[in-house]
This record gives sequence, C-alpha cells and structure tokens, in this order.
Amino acid sequence: MKSPLTSTALFHAGPVPITGAVLVTWAIMGFLVLGAIVIKRRLSRQPSTTQEVFELIVDTVDSQIRDTMQVGPAPYRAFIGTLFAFIFVANWSALIPGVEPPTAHLETDAALALLVFLAVIWFGIRAGGVRGFLGTFATPSPIMIPLNFVESITRTFSLLVRLFGNVMSGVFMIGIVLSLAGLLVPIPLMALDLLTGAVQAYIFAILAMVFIAGAIGDERDIPHERTAS
Amino acid sequence: MTIDWWTLGIQTVNVAVLVWLLQRFFWRPVAAMIEQRRDATRRTMAEAEATRTQATAALAEIEQTRAGFAKERDAILAAAHAEAETTRTALLAEARTAAAALETNARTAIEKANQAAGDAWNARSARLAVAIAEQLAARLDGTAVRAAFLDWLVQEVGALPDAARRAVMASGAALEVVSATVLDPAEQQRTRQRLGEALGDDPSIVFRTDPALIAGLELRGPHLLVSNSWRADLDQILLRLTQGAETNDVPLPSHAGSDQPVCPKAVPAATAEPNAR
Repeated sequence: MKSPLTSTALFHAGPVPITGAVLVTWAIMGFLVLGAIVIKRRLSRQPSTTQEVFELIVDTVDSQIRDTMQVGPAPYRAFIGTLFAFIFVANWSALIPGVEPPTAHLETDAALALLVFLAVIWFGIRAGGVRGFLGTFATPSPIMIPLNFVESITRTFSLLVRLFGNVMSGVFMIGIVLSLAGLLVPIPLMALDLLTGAVQAYIFAILAMVFIAGAIGDERDIPHERTAS
Repeated sequence: MTIDWWTLGIQTVNVAVLVWLLQRFFWRPVAAMIEQRRDATRRTMAEAEATRTQATAALAEIEQTRAGFAKERDAILAAAHAEAETTRTALLAEARTAAAALETNARTAIEKANQAAGDAWNARSARLAVAIAEQLAARLDGTAVRAAFLDWLVQEVGALPDAARRAVMASGAALEVVSATVLDPAEQQRTRQRLGEALGDDPSIVFRTDPALIAGLELRGPHLLVSNSWRADLDQILLRLTQGAETNDVPLPSHAGSDQPVCPKAVPAATAEPNAR
C-alpha cells in the first residue's frame, strides 16, 4: 500500500506532473458538466421528475445559504453548491473500483481550502470594500486583529486537515481491512465511508458559508438577491 | 509528506473552472427556471386573484341586480296595491254615494208615502170630522139658526159692491133662496124683506129647498151665488183640511160657471160654534 500523503505522477504534460487525483478530478468535472448540460437542455416549464430533483437540490442549497448567511443566495449559490457537489461526488467516487477519491489527497483538499480562503476575501471585499473587509478583523475589538488574522489562516488549514483526514482515513482504513480480511468485510466500512463523505461535503460547505458570512459582516443583515454572480 | 504544488495549482484551477461551468450550465439555469416558474405561479395566482375579484364583482353585481329585481318587484307590488287601494277607495266612495242617493231616494219615497198616507188619513179624518159636524149641525136646524143665517146672508149681500147689486137687480131675473127645509110664510116674508133692503130694490125671489144644505140660506142668481149654509161651511172646512192642512193657506173657492164677481162667504172656523159668531 502506498502512502496517502504522497502523490504519484501518472504522466507529465511538459513540466507539469499529472497525478491520479487530477485525472479523477477531470473525470468528475466532465461528469458534472455533461450532466449539467443535459439537465439544462431538458429544462422545461413542466418539470420532469429528474428536473424536480435537481430543482430541489438548488432550492435546498439556497435555503441553506439563507439560513446560514442570512443573505440572498444568488451570489454564493454557484460557489457553495459546486463545493458541495464536487466534494460529495469526489468522496463517493470511492465506490468505483480502482478509483481513489481526489479528496483523499492533500493537494485537492488544499486547493478547496485555498479557494474558500480566496472566496472569503473576494466576497468580503465585494460586500464591504477593502476597508470594510479589513474592518471585520477588528471585531469585536481591535485587540482581536492578530487573533482574527491568525484564525483566518488556521481555519483554512482546519478545513484542509478535516476533509483530508476524514476521507484519507476512510480510504486508508478500507485499504487496510481489505488487505487483511478479504472481499466482503470492508463493505460496512465503505458504507460508513459514504456517510462520512456526505457529511464532510456538507460540513465543508457549511463552514465555507460561515467563513464568508463572517467576512461580509453587516451586509448580511440586509437580505438581497443578486441575479448575477 | 510533500505537497505537489503543481497538483495543488491544477486542482485549484480545476475547481474554479468547475464552479464557473456549473454556474453557467446548472446553477443559474435551474435557478432561473425555478424563478420563472415562481413568476408564472405568481402571475397565475395574480390572474386567479383578479379573476376571483372579477367573479366577486360580477357576483356582487348579480346580487345587486337581484336586489334591484326585488326592489322593482316590491315597487310594482306597492304600485299595484296603491292602485287597488285607490280603486277600492273610489269604489267605496261611489258605493257610499250610490247608497246615500238610494237612502235619500228611499227617505224621500218614504216621506212621500208617509205624506200621502198622512194626507189620506187627514182626508179621512177630515171627512169623518165633517160627517160628525154634519150630524151635529143637522140637529141645530131651527128658527133661530135660520134667523142667524138670514142675518149672515143679508150681511154678505150688503157687503157686495154697489155695481154688483145693481147688476143683479138690472138683470131682472128671479133669485133663488135655497134652504134645507121649507120656510114658513113668515120666514119667507122676512127673508124677502131683508134681501130687498140689502139689494136696494124688490127683487123677484123663488124659494126652494135642498136638504143637502143641512141648515142655512143660499142666494142664487144668474150672476150671483152666495153660499151661506152648513154645507158650504163644511165643504170649506173639508177642503181646507184635505188640501190646505199643511200650509194653512187655503184659497177660497170660486163658483164655477160664474164670471161675475161673487161675494165670498167668510168661512167660519172649523171648531167654532155657529152661535159664537
């Protein structure tokens, strides 16, 4: 068994090493984008059952954003929803034999955490300007500025470590049990891993919303609906 | 533990691109479709609300129209009742008028009948009274009564105008002295004498009797008639009772067949005794 803390390049595109996590990510992207295109083409005023399911997903994401951030969901829907969908599908990609979830690799989780970190800055500045965003570090008092600054870094690492630790440990445990006990024994662990993957996707999305809501400060007190994001 | 920075960068770009792609192909279209359906639902509900409002207004209008019908019906009924009341009142008034006219006519007829009956009873009473008076007067005939009648006759003749007395005498015709019983010669002589004095000459006088006179002396000539008897008095009384009882305005009868002025005989009162005159 190879270490989950290492990434092995399958091939190189020039100087750029292409790992298995990247390939699986591309596959997941292709799956999601193609599915989205098909869904888009089949959108109708008279929704089918499939369309109703996806509309339910979108509506659920919107309601979660409203409940968590107390703002209109439109500017944040695509980012939060895509994070959840990608992490969810990536975690559950472990069901496919021979496929290792990209979230079980540190780089993918770090990329997701990095995007959340950048999104917090982007949405914070967009909502209150640079001064307003920096002002959020001085709440509840200026003496908290160093702590808030460190917290903004450490919480990003906590996202990274939480997702990576949960997914990687699941995959690692399943691999160990599979190597020790045989074919059918890891199935309960795999089911538990699916639950863990779904919960982790939800937690990651909820934490991203909480961090962004903290960055937009008082703006969230004024509910608004932006059509463009 | 090492981090492959290339992989970190590629994955960051991958997720960012995925966010963009899904926003373009999934999140925005689906959210737009949801919003479109919500708008359609709102429009439908608004249209339904408007339709319901219109229906409510139409229903209210119908109710108002029904109320108008009811009011119109009530007005028609009230007008019919008023017209019927007016007609009834008019008919009642007409009936009252007719009844009053009938009552008046009936009263008039009854009064006329009563009057006629009264007149009839008066006539019968008068005739009865006259008959009684006849019976009584018949018992009074005698020398003293004839003397009194002679005095009255002479008095009446004396009251005649001179022209009338001369005309009587100028005619040369005989005068009749009618009495109820036969006068004895002395009475005839005294009668002839007294009349001659009254007429201023010596007329030719013929004595006759007429029991119908009951008592009295009447002088009759071609142009003269002096009624002076119980019969004449009773006839006057009977005439007055039967014809002039209501008005007490009894014209004295004229003598038929006489175109000369006559000396009206004063009619004594019905209740007066002959001797009292």
